[in-house]
Amino acid sequence: MSRDRQLPAASLHVVLSLLDGELHGYGLMRRVEELSDGAVRMGPGTLYGTLNRLVESGLIVETTDRRPRSGTERRRYYELTGTGRQVALDELTRLQGLVARVAHHLPGAAPA
Amino acid sequence: MSSDASTGLVVATYRRLVRLYPRAFRDEYRDDLVDLLAEQLRDEPAWRVVPRCLTDLALSVPSQHLEAHMDRPLNLVLTTVLGALAAAAVVVGLVVGHPVVLLACTAVALSAAGLALLSYHRARPLTAPRPVTAQWWKPTATGGALLALLIVVTNATGELPEGGWYVAMIVGLAAVLLVAAGLVLGIVHLAGRTTRRPAT
Repeated sequence: MSRDRQLPAASLHVVLSLLDGELHGYGLMRRVEELSDGAVRMGPGTLYGTLNRLVESGLIVETTDRRPRSGTERRRYYELTGTGRQVALDELTRLQGLVARVAHHLPGAAPA
Repeated sequence: MSSDASTGLVVATYRRLVRLYPRAFRDEYRDDLVDLLAEQLRDEPAWRVVPRCLTDLALSVPSQHLEAHMDRPLNLVLTTVLGALAAAAVVVGLVVGHPVVLLACTAVALSAAGLALLSYHRARPLTAPRPVTAQWWKPTATGGALLALLIVVTNATGELPEGGWYVAMIVGLAAVLLVAAGLVLGIVHLAGRTTRRPAT
């Protein structure tokens, strides 16, 4: 599936972070930070606003009730839907293409 | 990483600040937002977390309010009342026919119609812009309704007073123009849909 518009930056980071599997809010925040090498640090409002939009658009789904958790745990877990996974992979391909084209036009900018 | 006292104070303050979000958002995520901040404070010092959190609030609160505004249901009560007032003013003007009454009724009808349009634009959600041609049915329906109203009123009143004919002619002409414009927009819209490539 291709999309007319690319994902906003925050949504892009979240869907790419969920490619490895389900995560809770804080885990997602950490994963985004790790994948961006510390460049992107989402605050709580930005993170849950993004999660809310992605759930509404059907790219991710809450999985909290799907499997047993420890008694005191009340975190919400999220994972990609089939559509969300495809969108994440499409975005990844788009970014790889962008990097390859830039490297082609600017020989000094080739990735190590 | 932060002391219990300072963590408690920061979390309590943040819990109050969460009230700045729109009701639906904070009802859904209040506990998650606060828990997330508490977890951050467990792993990082408050002097690093707090400025980041304040920046996040400053950016995400307005954006959540904007989204809430975009998602709100369309309320057309005021628009309908104003539209009915405009139509009533036209009918009264046609029935009475006195020049002064006609002038007053025309002024009322135009004002009410203008306010109806304004209230519609304020009430509608801020969704992605649609092409103007997709609205083709609106002028068509409005023109049709005006023509029907004109026919009913002229039949009901029999012979219109002298001044009434001028208003009836203007309304009739406007109705025909609206229908024609709507049909043209509809044809353009249909042509655009058939030539537009489907998304793959």
